[in-house]
Amino acid sequence: MSTVSVIITSHSRPHLLPRAIESAQAAGKDVEVVVVDDASTDETAEVCRKLSGIIYLRLERNQKVAGARNVGIINSSGNYITFLDDDDTRLAGSLDLQLEALDSAPGAGLIYGQALIADQVGQSTGNSYPRHCPQGDVFWELLCRNFIPCGTVVFRRSCLFRTGLLDQSVPGIDDWDLWIRIASLYSVIALEKPLMIWRKSSPISGQGTSRADELVRMSTHHHRRKWLELPRATEGAESSRREARRCFSKNMASHLAFETARAAMSGHFLQAQRNAFIALRLHPWGSARVIASFSTLRFLLASLKGQ
Amino acid sequence: MPKVSVIIPTHSRPQLLSRAVESARTAGTNVEIIVVDDASTGDTAKVCRELKGVKHVRLELNQGVAGARNIGILASSADYIAFLDDDDLRLPGSLDLQVEALVNNNSAGFVCGAMLMADQEGRLTGEALLPNHYGDVFWPLLELDFPVMPISVVVRRECFTRVGLFNASLPGIDDWDILVRIAELYPVVVLDKPVSIYRKPTPFSEQGSSAQAQHLSRAARHQLSLLCLPRARTARTSRTREVRRRALKRIADTLLLNAAQAIRDRAYKFACANSLAALRLHPLRVLRPAGYLKLASMLWTDRHAKHAPPVRSLS
Repeated sequence: MSTVSVIITSHSRPHLLPRAIESAQAAGKDVEVVVVDDASTDETAEVCRKLSGIIYLRLERNQKVAGARNVGIINSSGNYITFLDDDDTRLAGSLDLQLEALDSAPGAGLIYGQALIADQVGQSTGNSYPRHCPQGDVFWELLCRNFIPCGTVVFRRSCLFRTGLLDQSVPGIDDWDLWIRIASLYSVIALEKPLMIWRKSSPISGQGTSRADELVRMSTHHHRRKWLELPRATEGAESSRREARRCFSKNMASHLAFETARAAMSGHFLQAQRNAFIALRLHPWGSARVIASFSTLRFLLASLKGQ
Repeated sequence: MPKVSVIIPTHSRPQLLSRAVESARTAGTNVEIIVVDDASTGDTAKVCRELKGVKHVRLELNQGVAGARNIGILASSADYIAFLDDDDLRLPGSLDLQVEALVNNNSAGFVCGAMLMADQEGRLTGEALLPNHYGDVFWPLLELDFPVMPISVVVRRECFTRVGLFNASLPGIDDWDILVRIAELYPVVVLDKPVSIYRKPTPFSEQGSSAQAQHLSRAARHQLSLLCLPRARTARTSRTREVRRRALKRIADTLLLNAAQAIRDRAYKFACANSLAALRLHPLRVLRPAGYLKLASMLWTDRHAKHAPPVRSLS
């Protein structure tokens, strides 16, 4: 069985890092763990120096997740590559299962699976994402929504020589962007079982994904300028392109509507307002409906409490 | 001699590629040549396959020069990395010279040398870009006062691990960006000898650098984020302000000179783009009459240089 390189990027969170590294080492027999310290300003370096059997790289200047992952990739040697965030954990033996499946499907470029969703302290909530894993040619489906949890993906190093590295200009969706480029050239396979534990961000957790409105604005721009301009998309029928655009903005709007409700409930009204504004512009009717239903629910709850 | 990897990104321009590859081969004794074909259409793939002793990487999705260079770094195996464009040339023995300089200077991040200028047909014009600073070149480089291009440098691989890779969202100035970031942390070795030949772009040549007005405006914008690097942030405010002022002046002057040359060559659209960009960046500099006198004299000397016989033909 070939080596798989697990690239763990970390920025000033040394308390979580050892757990992620241990889980990666236990996930497969032949694992090379590459830790990229993205210019942390705390004791991350000392924590990593104490750990054995890892490749520790330190960026002196912050490059954000995509830039740090790229640096990890050029310093790794495995034929297979996977990413892991410092706050997530791999399940034991999960990498071996995936490598076996990928080895038996030579035409596939990438394999992914389900992630168990955990709360802020790392306790599993019992839910997994995605419920159903699409397989084969998933290019058009990926243009609609990102159903691939980043930490569950294992892809071949050879893919990168045809698709290019991660795009640093789209922080937060750089992984989605790479999956789309890989899916435009290769078929994708999946294991419909949990492979990792994924710590979900909340509006106050300070993780990169918190600013939903900025993320959506960037994704929309990138969707139109880059993804729909890929050779695979321009060769496709106009109707599928239109459908991809429609489906994408609908998803973005409902995601934002949900974030609006979440931010409003936790008292971040400015954030809620920003989200709602963009959601309404993207998909007026759908998001108005969602936002309205959430506010009604909240109003009902509040009045019940009042009684 | 330690191994050096030469990364040659190419995009749909097969006619000059094999010449560039040959020049890289004769430039060093232990050279690994990596040609990154950035989703070219036409004959490029065929030309690349016919090149002997070359590692050929074919990107199916266009990534731009920066993305292609990054993939080249991924495909390379040497500790020293050099870059070459498909229409430029390396001079014989130049890579050995530069690698030796890096080996002798353990702390240096990259080594650069002088560049000779050639016209579109590859004839030397007699001009050369000579490096004018030594050692710590962070400030001059940030000020755009240090002539260096990817084709004139050899970089220690370890630098990319410490400062990150080429930034693909800065087309045209990704090379300047990364060299500034390296020079922030490392001293630089400067050789007085010419190491490569640069094919000067004209308004009509289909080179990336024909969009120079756009790139220079982008450089002016991006300088603000480079001035946020720790080294610049901890410097005196008067110093950073001075650097900013001088860079804007220099960019405006370059744009005006480009515009004047373009008017001489009857490329009016190009001239217009350049002068508008200059006006936007530094209105006072552009509207000052003394500038025009200087410009006229520069054009005059430029015309005389043009009549001088070419040093030697390359093709």
